[in-house]
Amino acid sequence: MLRRVEHVMGFPVSLRIDDEGAWDAVADEAFAWLRAVDRRFSPFRADSEVCRLDRGEPAAGAVSADLAQVLGLCEEYRTATGGAFDARLPGRGLDPCAVVKGWSVQRAAELLTAAGARRFCLNAGGDVVVSGGPWRVGIRHPEDAGRVCAVLEVTDGAVATSGRYERGDHILDGRTGRPATGLLSLTVLAPTLTEADATATAAFALGEEGVAWAAARAGCEVFAVDAGRRVVRTAGVPMAGVS
Amino acid sequence: MKRALPVLVLTVAGLVPLWRYEPSHGTTATEAPTTATTPSASASGRVVAGPTVTTEKGDVQVEVTLDGDRISSVRMLKQPDSPQTKGAVPTLIQETLKAQSADVDTVSGATVTSEGYKKSLQAALDEA
Repeated sequence: MLRRVEHVMGFPVSLRIDDEGAWDAVADEAFAWLRAVDRRFSPFRADSEVCRLDRGEPAAGAVSADLAQVLGLCEEYRTATGGAFDARLPGRGLDPCAVVKGWSVQRAAELLTAAGARRFCLNAGGDVVVSGGPWRVGIRHPEDAGRVCAVLEVTDGAVATSGRYERGDHILDGRTGRPATGLLSLTVLAPTLTEADATATAAFALGEEGVAWAAARAGCEVFAVDAGRRVVRTAGVPMAGVS
Repeated sequence: MKRALPVLVLTVAGLVPLWRYEPSHGTTATEAPTTATTPSASASGRVVAGPTVTTEKGDVQVEVTLDGDRISSVRMLKQPDSPQTKGAVPTLIQETLKAQSADVDTVSGATVTSEGYKKSLQAALDEA
């Protein structure tokens, strides 16, 4: 059993492991991985791999397998959204944060599974990976921080939410360069957080049409609140009863 | 809801041919960047190819073109050809927005900063 909260990349990461035994060393390893990712991929650290690539510094062979995978994901979502999701906006440096977060937290969860953890919940600043449920995952109400607007019952999977209520209009529609304002929040349930987080961010950038776009992606269930405070969701969202 | 559906159907239908993969399930073929190619100069700038990454759905490789000191393009050299979408129109349901104080294990929301976390629902759950 273990419960721990640490702050990495500027947000809180809560880990709960319900399996019997000592999990401190495994948790140390998972948090060390997330710190390493922050050092390697932060667009705010001049010596990160991302900043060095953006400055055109990579010498022969300097694009690591991890960075290549992240860039590949960025490109996949840029193409799939017709440019609404773009890690390389004009006048800005390379910023793959939207992909790096989900990808790295998913890898941390896989590290826990590989170490033998069966029932755990990893929440990185509102993006969640659960294993060995059922787990009751609340979706934060977009206008009331103290309440939820839905509860999902998830056994194994990932839930990510994009919205404007915590950090303002920080998600831009790459097609216009302007903030995406069509939705209050959009949540994606997917088999992995890599898919859930990038799909939620990309769909949010698309605005209202992002709901159907995300719903069409294989393995994704969607719960969105539009600017008119209406909920639009896929039929497959595992809505839990209120208790 | 009835008026919204035809529009949604058209949006979804346009996406069907796109492909998809799940690299997070993949094992990277090489951790060391030894397979990346030497940058080659071209009229449009330097081109750096990344290593091939093996994923569950197939091999993925990207190529980055640097124009001076900026990335001018990223191209997929290898990509899986599995379908990206479900190929069926998902059913969307409209509901009214509810506010609940339900019993939950964890909360998903837009990224909270470490500052905002202190008064968040998740912080209260972590304390419990």
